[in-house]
Amino acid sequence: MKPIRLSVNGRDIEAEVEPRQHLADFVREELLLTGTHLGCEHGVCGACTVLIDGAPARACIAFPVALDGAVITTVEGLVDDPVTERLRKAFMVEHGLQCGFCTPGMLIMARDIVLRRPGADDAAIRHELAGNLCRCTGYIGIIRAIRAVAAERCAAGEAPVVTRGGAVVPPLHVSPLTLPVAPARLSAVGDERLGRGEDVSAASAVFVPEKLRNPVELVQEFEVPAPRAQVWALFQDPAQVIGCLPGARLTAPSDGRTVNAEMLVKLGPIQAAFGGTGVIAADPANWTGTIDGGGVDRRSATRVQARLVYGLDELPGAAATRVRVEVAYVLQGPLAQMSRGALARDLAARLTAAFATHLAALLRGEAAAAQPAPLDAGSLLLSLVKDWVRRLFRRA
Amino acid sequence: MKAARFDYLRPDDLAGATVALAEGRARPMAGGQSLGPMLNLRLARPGRVVDVSHLPELRRVEARPDGILYGAALTHAEFEDGAVPDPTPGFLARVAHGIAYRAVRNRGTIGGSLAHADPAADWPTALAALGARVHLAGPAETRELAVDEFILGAFETALAPGEIITGVFVPRRSAQARFGYRKSCRKVGEFAEAMCAVLVDRESDVQRLAIGATEARQLVFPAAHDVLRSPARVDDILRDAGLAADPAAFRLRREVVRQAIAALASESQPEGQPA
Repeated sequence: MKPIRLSVNGRDIEAEVEPRQHLADFVREELLLTGTHLGCEHGVCGACTVLIDGAPARACIAFPVALDGAVITTVEGLVDDPVTERLRKAFMVEHGLQCGFCTPGMLIMARDIVLRRPGADDAAIRHELAGNLCRCTGYIGIIRAIRAVAAERCAAGEAPVVTRGGAVVPPLHVSPLTLPVAPARLSAVGDERLGRGEDVSAASAVFVPEKLRNPVELVQEFEVPAPRAQVWALFQDPAQVIGCLPGARLTAPSDGRTVNAEMLVKLGPIQAAFGGTGVIAADPANWTGTIDGGGVDRRSATRVQARLVYGLDELPGAAATRVRVEVAYVLQGPLAQMSRGALARDLAARLTAAFATHLAALLRGEAAAAQPAPLDAGSLLLSLVKDWVRRLFRRA
Repeated sequence: MKAARFDYLRPDDLAGATVALAEGRARPMAGGQSLGPMLNLRLARPGRVVDVSHLPELRRVEARPDGILYGAALTHAEFEDGAVPDPTPGFLARVAHGIAYRAVRNRGTIGGSLAHADPAADWPTALAALGARVHLAGPAETRELAVDEFILGAFETALAPGEIITGVFVPRRSAQARFGYRKSCRKVGEFAEAMCAVLVDRESDVQRLAIGATEARQLVFPAAHDVLRSPARVDDILRDAGLAADPAAFRLRREVVRQAIAALASESQPEGQPA
């Protein structure tokens, strides 16, 4: 594994990559930017075309390990680009797509053509577009769409633009589609824009054994009917905290500083048993603490790294406490590939919610003895369906 | 498919690169537009890939009185866009414009194309016709070879272990020079099935002809005066080179050579397809 730094769609990314991993796999599987499609995987079909330093390139034969410091723009990153916006409309009007498989590559290439060659005629467009294959449209609609936009730019007196080495303005909106993995985690500028700067600085002030790269982040807040000191005491007992996590248990007695635990997670046909170690750090003065951990599922060789930050706020009357839990995690390996997108986030969200419920129950002295059952995909799907039905009725 | 496992090194300087490449099973990579597909198809399985694309020596342009020395890691797109000076009346940009696709031209390099030595690639044939010289650096010494001495056969070059291409020297030509370049591809950007480049500079009495896409090394005629005078001689050249066995391929090659010669007068663009 080699460390690299990249800018992807306006965000700075740090990652460790296998030299053999190509850029398309990297953006799709590590960053969950699945707008970049993979067809032939050897540089012929053009479906995986992205912008590297402003210029179109095949993502399937570019290796992130060799792109340290490069600026990458995928089709998601062009969501607010005015030229691409115009092209999207033209593709719709002229029926420039059917199944959509080639469309991300077509849009990236089309943008480059109209920028470099405003006023390009059909022959020039066909020549420039020869490296992007479409199996549905017969190209007629695509070429018409590009010609329309190229002609517009020519009529507007736009000069040809050298895209090679040129800057691409990152998306204006904080749309989940334009951001890799964790919409909540933005660059410093983005954090100010969303008023999240404080959270990040508070989190980064705490001891970090190993930095999480581009994690999925969740925040859960809940109230428990117990004084803050009692809740705090419970959080200092690793056995009880771990006991509140569905499917989790200590594998060795904790010394209060480190924990050895394992956790069962079921996801469809996959059953993962993560075994790992964690480090606990508490800051009693501020009523906050951190648990950092990492583990491996031996069967699938999926690695997980996680960080849990908790903070306790006294509620008026001192009889109840508001608990704020921030969870950040990174999954790497087969499981991460299988559970991309909303499903993985929902699983983590459900784990956190279950943790909150068990914790509250424990503090009320209710379910202290019962070990919570591991979550599985069945109950997860059920909850998704329930949520969906609920939303449906709310809308009606 | 995905590439097999390999180690990756990016040396800071030329000396580091030659040391890293001297080890067995190491391959240099610049733009990776030829090596990349081969890695993915597992046709190439180097133990180590040495990235030479950032070496300063390979990114420079040095104008000399008699021509220009280009760094080997300059991209086709940089030639196409005129981002680097041209010692010929626009020939290099014309050749570059016809290479593969723009997305490939943005990454692929002139030195990489020569080192890969695909018989159907554009630069080996075009640069042979232009009388270019390849600059090489190895662990012990540096040397220079004419393009047609450097390329020994299909995917075979004179590169010794640990040696890399540092640059390509293209001789200066007069404003009166003419360049005819034709290739025939099943589809724009595909590998060529027939290819020919002709250079005529009356000012210095240069008449060079190169035939590519031969499935072996290029045929290069440094003094092609008689062929250019009587195009019927094209048939003899092809027969002598053993390129006349298949009648269809023979007719295609003959037509492409004839068109390249005819293009000397018309100066039409290199991407044109034979009728």
